Amino acid sequence: MSTEIQQNSAAKSVPQGVDVGRLEKELAASWQNAGGAEESGVTRVCVLNLIVYTTHREDRAEIDALLDVVTAHVPGRALVLVADRDSTEAKLEAYVSTRCQTESKGGAKQICGEQVTIEASGAQVETAASAIEPLVMPDVPVFLWWKDIPHEDDKLFNRLVDLSDRVVIDSLVFDHPHEDLKRLAQLISERRQYMLLSDLNWGRLTSWRNLLASFWDVADYRPALDHIDNVLIEFDPPDVAPDEIAPQALLLAGWLASCLKWEPTDEFAREGKSARWMMRAGERKINVEFRATEDRQGSDGLIATLSLKSGASGAEFNVGVNETWTKLETSAKIGDAHMVKRVVSYEAKSEGERLSRELSMLSRDAVYERAVASVGGLVEVLQKS
Amino acid sequence: MSATVLENPLRAGVRLERTADPCVVVIFGATGDLTKRKLVPALYRLVQERLVPAEFAIVGAARTEISSEEFRANMKEAIVQFSEAKSVDDEVWESFAQGLHYLKVDIGTSEDYGKLSEKLEQIDQERGTQGNRVFYLSTAPALYAEAVKQLGQSGLAKPKDKGWVRVIIEKPFGTDLASAQALNKDIHQHLDESQIYRIDHYLGKETVQNLLVFRFANGIYEPLWNRQYIDHVQITNAETVGVEGRGGYYEKAGVVRDMLQNHVFQVLSLVAMEPPASLNSESVRDEKIKAMTAVRPFTPERVRTDCVRGQYGSGSINGKGVPGYREEEGVAPDSATETFALLTMYFDNWRWSGVPFYIRSGKRLAKRVTEIAIQFKDAPHKLFGSEMMEQMTPNQLIIRVQPDEGITLRVAAKVPGQVTRIRDVNMDFRYGASFGVQLAEAYERLLLDCILGDPTLYARTDMTERGWEIVMPILEEWAATKKDAPFPNYEAGTWGPQAIHDILGKEGRRWRRP
Repeated sequence: MSTEIQQNSAAKSVPQGVDVGRLEKELAASWQNAGGAEESGVTRVCVLNLIVYTTHREDRAEIDALLDVVTAHVPGRALVLVADRDSTEAKLEAYVSTRCQTESKGGAKQICGEQVTIEASGAQVETAASAIEPLVMPDVPVFLWWKDIPHEDDKLFNRLVDLSDRVVIDSLVFDHPHEDLKRLAQLISERRQYMLLSDLNWGRLTSWRNLLASFWDVADYRPALDHIDNVLIEFDPPDVAPDEIAPQALLLAGWLASCLKWEPTDEFAREGKSARWMMRAGERKINVEFRATEDRQGSDGLIATLSLKSGASGAEFNVGVNETWTKLETSAKIGDAHMVKRVVSYEAKSEGERLSRELSMLSRDAVYERAVASVGGLVEVLQKS
Repeated sequence: MSATVLENPLRAGVRLERTADPCVVVIFGATGDLTKRKLVPALYRLVQERLVPAEFAIVGAARTEISSEEFRANMKEAIVQFSEAKSVDDEVWESFAQGLHYLKVDIGTSEDYGKLSEKLEQIDQERGTQGNRVFYLSTAPALYAEAVKQLGQSGLAKPKDKGWVRVIIEKPFGTDLASAQALNKDIHQHLDESQIYRIDHYLGKETVQNLLVFRFANGIYEPLWNRQYIDHVQITNAETVGVEGRGGYYEKAGVVRDMLQNHVFQVLSLVAMEPPASLNSESVRDEKIKAMTAVRPFTPERVRTDCVRGQYGSGSINGKGVPGYREEEGVAPDSATETFALLTMYFDNWRWSGVPFYIRSGKRLAKRVTEIAIQFKDAPHKLFGSEMMEQMTPNQLIIRVQPDEGITLRVAAKVPGQVTRIRDVNMDFRYGASFGVQLAEAYERLLLDCILGDPTLYARTDMTERGWEIVMPILEEWAATKKDAPFPNYEAGTWGPQAIHDILGKEGRRWRRP
C-alpha cells in the first residue's frame, strides 16, 4: 500500500480567522482534479471526521504517518489542530491536502481522504474550535484525538468534546500517571453523560485482557477465579515518572478489581520498586502487587508479566511477554495439573491500526470507565498513605 | 451461548470477543486439497487471532500412511502457500504444531475408529480438550454415510458428560433428491440434527451475512423489498475457470448440482425470506425454508420456456485461449453436461407474486463475479422526456458477494449544465474502502461458528432437500432431452448462450453487465 499526499495550497495566512468557504472550495477543486483523471480511479471516502489536537509542531510527522494508516482503514476528513498556547503572537493559519492510499490488491484504485491543518498560536488557540466546527463533515461521526492530557477546565478541550461523538486519549503519555489517572476518573465521572472516551493505552491492553479472560472461559478452570488472592503485575517503569506505577499496569488492576468486585482497603505498602495494595472481595483478601522491572528501551510503561494465584486452590495463571517483546506466553496450573502452554503474537497492530480500531468504535466502553474509576480509588489510597 | 461464558466476568464489554470451548477438530480426508488450502490455514488463523483457546487440537485422519511430523511439515508449507499472510510465525507455529496430530484412518475400518478414540482420549488428557469434538468430513461424498455410521457405532458420535460432538459435512449433499434424503436418513440414525453442520462456504462470506443486516437493520429498504417496487431480481454467479482437472466429477454433476441448488439457493433464500422473529439459528433457517417452499415448481413446460442450459465451447479468457468443455480432461467428447444454467424462478407468495428472479450460474464466463441485482420499477410518471435521458435505467441495488464485496445503489442524477440532462450515477459502498479491513475467510467464520455451536450459517435438512426438490424436474427434463442439447452453445469468455438474452428480452428486460 502506498500513500500520496497532495497539498493543494501553500499555507494560507488568515490572521483574523479561517476562511472556511475558501478551504472547502480548495478541497472541492482537488477532488475535481483527481476525478478528472478517470484512469486513476480515485475514490473519495468519508466515514468520519477526526479532529487531532497537538501542542507539538514536531508531532506533525508522526501524525501524518498515523493518518496514512487511518486513511487506509477508516478514510475521512482529518482536522489537525497544531496549538502553540505559549506564543505571544495570536495567529490562525489553515491549509488543505488530500491523502490517498493505493489499495494493495488490484493496484490502480486509490482510497482518498482529506485533511485540513490549522495552526493556532497565542490567544487564537481558544478560538480554534469555532474554525473547526464549520469544517466538520455532516452525517458522519466526529472523533477528537486529544494528544495531550485532558483537563476538565480547559475551554478548548471542552468545546471540542462538545463537538465530538468520541474522544481518544493515550494514558501512556501521562506525565504524572497517578494524579492524571485520578483526574481522568473524576472527568469521566463528571462528564459521563456527555463524553465517550477511548484510550489507546487501553487498546494496547486488549491482548492481555483477552488472554487472561480466556483462562476462565474453560468451565473446569472457572471456579479458581473466585479464589484469587494474589496478583503480581510487573511493568517497565515510565521514563517521565520512574517512581510511579505505569498507567497500563494500574488500568489492568483497575479492570480486574472492577470486574471481580474487589474493593480497595486502606492497606498500602511501598518498598523499593514494589507497591502493594490490599483489596477485599467479601471475606477474601487479595494482595495486589506492582513491581517495576529494569528499564528497557522500547517498552516504556508497558506490562511485562502478569500472574494471578490462589493459595486455597493452588491455582496459578500467568501471562508474560518474551525476552524480545514479540510474543506473549501463557501458562497455568491448578494443583499439580499443568495446563497447556501457549505462545501468541504480542501485538499485531501498529499504532495507526490501533488508532483506526478506536475510530471504528462508537459505543460507550463502560468496562474502561469502571476500570479508570477503580484506579482512581487505588490512587486515593496511595495518596492518603 | 453456554452458561460458562456468561459467568466469566472478565468477558464483559465491547472489546473482548468470546473464545470457543476447548475441543479437538478431527479432519477426515486430511491429505486432501481442501485441508491444506482452506481448513488448516483457517484453523491456524483462529489460533493466531486467539479465537480458540489454548486447549485446542487438530487430528488429521486419512488413509495415507504418514507420520504426525510429516503431516505438520505439510501443513506448515500449506499455510505459507495458501494463507492470506503467506507466512508462518515460527514461535506461534511451534505452539500450534504441538496440538497438530495425524492418524491413519480408513473410513470403512471399524478398528481405526478404536484407535482414533484412544488418540482423542490421550489428547483430552494432554491438552485439556474436555471431550469436545468436531468431525470434519472432507472426504469423497460417497463416504459421508459410512463415516457417520462408523462414528456412531464406535461411540464417537455420542457426547460424553458435559461435552459435545458436532459433524461438519462438505458439499455436495447428495446427487439428487433421493440420495440426499437417503443420506439424511442414514446420518440421522447416529446424529441429532443439532449435531449436523452442512457447510456451504458461500454463507461464510461477509457480504452474504451482511444481507441480513442490510435488509433488517435498515428501515428504508424493507418497505421497498416487495412486488410493489421491485421489477425483477438478477442473481449472477459467474466463474472464469473451467473444470480444473475435475472433469470426471463435473460430468456427473453439472452446474445445477454443483452450484445452483446449494450456494445460489442459499443466497436466493436470504434475498427472498421474510424478517425472522429473532436472530437465533432456528428462526433464520425457518424463514429461509419458508421462502423456498413458496418457489413455483418447474414443470417440463416451464423448463423449456423459463430455463436455459449451456455448455462452453473454446474461446478466450483474460486474453488467453481456452479449450471447450468437451476438450477438457475426463470429459466425454459428446458430453451433454451443462456448464451454464439460467433459471427463472417465482415465489408464489404475497411479497413476491409475479416478480421473476433470474438466476444464472456458469463456468468460463467473461468475469468472476457473484452478485445480486435488485431492479426496481420505473418511476410511475415519466416527468422527464426522452430527450433529457442521456442515460437512465431503473434504479438498481447491487449487492456484490465476490470479488470486491460491497453494495451499489444506482440512481438518476442531473448532469451539471444549463439544460436538464439525466444520467445514472452509482452510490457505492465497498467493504475494502469503508472498513479497510481484511475480510475473514469464509472457512474461518464457519469453523468458528461450529465450534461455538452456532448453526445459523449452515444448511438444515429441510433446506438441502428443498433445494433438490426444486431442481429435480429441471435435471430430469434435461436428462430426458439431452440429445437435443445444442452444445456447445456459448463461447468461453462470454456471458452464456444467446437464449438467456431472449428470455429477458421478451419481457422488455435486459441483463446487467456485472
